[in-house]
Parts: sequence; structure tokens; C-alpha cells
Amino acid sequence: MTRILLKQRLDDCIAAWQKAGYRVLGPVKRHDMSSFDEVQKASDMDLDLILTERTIKDHFFPQTEPLIRYKIGRQQIDSETMTPPEIKRVFFGVRPCDASGLAIDDPLFGWDYRDDYWFRRRENSVIVAIACTRADDFCMCTSVKLSPDSTEGADIMLRPLANGNGWQAEALSAGGAALLDTVSPMLQEDSSEAAPVPVVAAKFDVEKVMAWLADKDNFESQFWKEISLRCIGCGSCTFLCPTCHCFDIQDEGDTYSGIRRKNWDSCSFALFTMHTSGHNPRNVQSTRWRQRIMHKFNYYRGKFGVNSCSGCGRCTRQCPVDMGITETLQAISNLPR
Amino acid sequence: MIYSPFPMRVVSKREEAPGVNTLKLEFVREEDHEFFKAHYRTGMFGLYGIFGEGESTFCVASPETRKDAIECTFRHSGRVTSTLANTDAGDIVTFRGPYGNRFPIEQFEGRNLLFIAGGIALPPTRSVIWSCLDQREKYRDVTIVYGARTVADLVYKHELEEWKRRDDVRLVLTVDPGGETPDWQDHVGFVPTVLEQAAPSPENTIAVLCGPPIMIKFTLISLQKLGFEQENVYTTLENRMKCGVGKCGRCNVGSVYICKEGPVFTAAEVSGMPEGDL
Repeated sequence: MTRILLKQRLDDCIAAWQKAGYRVLGPVKRHDMSSFDEVQKASDMDLDLILTERTIKDHFFPQTEPLIRYKIGRQQIDSETMTPPEIKRVFFGVRPCDASGLAIDDPLFGWDYRDDYWFRRRENSVIVAIACTRADDFCMCTSVKLSPDSTEGADIMLRPLANGNGWQAEALSAGGAALLDTVSPMLQEDSSEAAPVPVVAAKFDVEKVMAWLADKDNFESQFWKEISLRCIGCGSCTFLCPTCHCFDIQDEGDTYSGIRRKNWDSCSFALFTMHTSGHNPRNVQSTRWRQRIMHKFNYYRGKFGVNSCSGCGRCTRQCPVDMGITETLQAISNLPR
Repeated sequence: MIYSPFPMRVVSKREEAPGVNTLKLEFVREEDHEFFKAHYRTGMFGLYGIFGEGESTFCVASPETRKDAIECTFRHSGRVTSTLANTDAGDIVTFRGPYGNRFPIEQFEGRNLLFIAGGIALPPTRSVIWSCLDQREKYRDVTIVYGARTVADLVYKHELEEWKRRDDVRLVLTVDPGGETPDWQDHVGFVPTVLEQAAPSPENTIAVLCGPPIMIKFTLISLQKLGFEQENVYTTLENRMKCGVGKCGRCNVGSVYICKEGPVFTAAEVSGMPEGDL
């Protein structure tokens, strides 16, 4: 017997969570791109989406984050540190790849100097993941050793029932258990079976990719120039990536006041590494593409023990020149040994 | 909170060379000063800023033996540095740091020291030089080789005079061919060549080398010719930085984050990094 949440009780759950002080966010097609946004009732959500076009990263590491508000006076400069609002949030219907993305970025924002802009949001959020029942041609979670029902980063895992009426609910953390407790009257014990997870065929051999990247001789390989010829350096893949975390810090304002902000940046851009002198260590697109792949599948693993990729496939799905990480990793995987 | 800088008061400003200034900054808040005193060691860097313009990364040019204030030396070339250069005594700027690793100068004790700097890279070297000269008895022979493009481009001219006068420091000054003035008494030539002529002994010697990438490249070859082991040569790497604390993702050379694992490296460590990322 497992605890079951029926779809027809979802509205009651949302109401109960809101009453308990949570803001509830779910997958919506409200804007030009599908994303996670606040919902009031179950019908606001589009739970049939394979994946929202934007990631939930946006809600933990926003595109622009105010850090400091400053005022420049005649005699003095006043500044005030800005902190993210303390709002309790439930993210309902997160795909396992997006939840994993958060778990992958936790050690980066935590090592040595702790980034509380990230952790305050993390600590005030409960991630309710829903295992996938469908996948598209771009999904590649299995290629990076995750799966359509991975539990990394999730506080609650919902597994869709075979009959389509609801989900098996399993709490994976204390926060998840507490959230389920708030809706225990809406749950029922049942033995309904879960729907099978879709088969997502592996697209490349990640071990082989990692071994090739670790070989220092391949750093200057012609491969990088050829594989990145199509890249226009737009940065879309980095902005839509659930694990890309690079940022810039900029002051935005007028002569007398403004806000210092942490804004998304991208390794795809030439300016990202440009020195004052004009020297640029990564001066052509191929070196920037190499950085992106090396960072995700070599450097990050060396520091934090995981690859910086959860296999969502957005980088490939939404690439304007039909390129993406998958093609590169497949090509490496298919190189003759 | 992370990314929140310390307010600093400009105490004085000095013009070192055309377009190069040194600012002396003192802490506005006592607790910030205590933090700095507890953490700063020579070689570390900081992000210097002005609200409304942004932040720029450069070294702390003052030694770890003098922590009453922070000195920083920079060339005005962008928005932040130009504004910093336009400040006057009493103005408020910001500092975030100290970040990064350091020169392990206690491991240099009992050894000869060879400092080699080019152009505007004297400030980071100068921090180590004074950290050692302020405890002169702990070290053996001290040699400083410093070169700049022209006589005017030499920075810390008053301190060069001071080092020249000291009999416990050997100072070798040079300017690039064509950069000399009619009354120039010192060497004319590029740093690697002048270094080879000065031929300091590698015996029991630690070399500290800072300069533009091209100078470092050729000076490392000269040091090798002179018989220096890569493990005994220390240098610094610089890259564009935004956070300074290993998160913003741009300053890495291969897998090495300059802001966290650097900026101080031995030549042996640098030779293990992918050259195409430098």
C-alpha cells in the first residue's frame, strides 16, 4: 500500500498549502515560453508538458538578482545589502532532470563562500517532482546516468498511476514529509500501480566521453574547431540550462542611485573572459565551446564529484542552429579509440 | 552577505607613471579592518569598486607586515579604474576581499630571494618584497630585477630609490630598448636578457616572477637556463573575475580557478595547465 494523491484532490492540496503559508508554483504556458509560475488551482498548470521550456533554476538563481542598493549623495554614499524575500514555496510538477539540476548546483554555491541568495531560496522551497511518463527525442537523462524517475534534488516524488487518476506520493526529505503532512486528509492508501517510466535510450557513452576529455592531448584537438563551427555564440543553451550558473556583477542606475546586480552571463560570449589589456584566453568560439563541455563533464566533476548536466536536453532542443551538447558528446563517444 | 563590499576611505593618491595611480585606502568600519588583519597574507587580491561604476580585480600592493591600510596600484583603462583614479582623499570607495591564496613566505626563510617584475606587475611583487624586507633577518640575499617599457613607466620610483640605496638589496633596473632617457644610468634591454646577464645563482634561491604573459613566458625560459627548478619559481596568474569566490565561472585555466586556487602558483603548477586556456 502506498499513499496516493488523486488529481481531483489537487485543488484542495493547493488551497491547504496556500493556507499553510506556501506560494505554489507549477508548469504553466502563460507566457511566450512555458515556465514555472505561481498557480491558484490545478487547472492553471499544464502537467502534461514533457518539460517546461524554461527551467526552475530561474526561481533560485534569477536572471537578474539585486545585491546592493546604493545612493550617492553630496557628502556620502549609502549602501544597503538586499536579500531575497523569505517566501515559502512549493514547486509542483518539477521534472526529475530539473530537480537534479538544483542538487548539482548546491555544492557550487556552497563551497567555501556560501551564496545565501541561492540557499535562502533553496531552504524555503519544497520540490515536488513528478516522474516522467513520456520523453522526446532530445531527452538524455539516461545518458548522464540519471533516469525519468531520478529522485536527486526532490523533496517529494510523485509517480503517475497507470490509470491516470493521480500519483503515488513518497516523501524524500523532512521538508517533503512536512509538506505531505499538511495534506494528509487529501491522501489515501491504495495499491494502484504506477505507470511505467518511458524508455530513454542512451545517446552516448558518458564514460567514454569523460575519458576522452580527461586526455590532455585532446584539449588542442581539431575536433573542437570542427564541432563548434555552427555555434553563433548566442548563449541560449546556457540560459536554458538547469545547471549553468555563470554570472556577471553590474551596477545599474543613474548618477545618484542604483542597484548592484548579479546577472546571468555565459561562457559563449567573447567578453566573458576578455582582459583589460585586450588579451582573451578564450578568444574564438571553439575555445568557448570547449570550455562549456570541459566545465560540465570534466572540471565540475573534479571539484564536486558530479557532471554539471542533468540530461534535460534543452540546450539541443532550443538551439537556434540545431547544435547543442548532445551532438558534441555523441561525436566524442563515436570517435575511434 | 557574500558580494557585499567594505566601504573604504581614500587616504592618499599618488601618480606612479602616466596613467598609473596608487590609492591608499583605510577601513571605515573597525570590524572590517579586524577581518582584513586576520585574513590578509601577501599575494591575495581584492575587488575594488565604486558604486555606480562596478568592481575591478587587482592585487593588494601593500605587504602583510603593514595592515593599517590597503594600497592598490592600477592603470586607468576602463570605467571603474578611471573613476577610481579620479577620487580624492576622503572619498569613499569599496573593497571586497582578501581573496585567493598567497606566497608561502615562511617557506622562503633562510633562502636567497630573487624578485623579477615587469611594468605594472611590480605592485604584486612589491607586496612580497616588503613582506620579506620588513623581516629582513629571516632571508639571505635579496635581488630585485625590474623592467618597464620606458623610464616613465617604472612604478614606485621612490621605493626603487630606497632599494637602490640599501646595501642589503641588489636592484637591477632596466628599460626596453628605446625607452631610456639621456640620463638613464641603468640597463637597457628586455627583462629576460638582463636577468641572464645579472645571472643570480639558483643555489638555495626562490624566484618570484610577475609580469605580462609574454614576459613570464620568456623569463621562465631564462630562469631554466640559469638552473632554477620549476618548484622554486613562483608566479601569479590573472584573469577576468566578477565574484572572486569561485562561482561566476570565468577565471579558470583548465580546471584551476585562479580566484580560489590562485593567483599564486609555482612554475611547475603553471606548466601543468593547458596553454591554450592561458
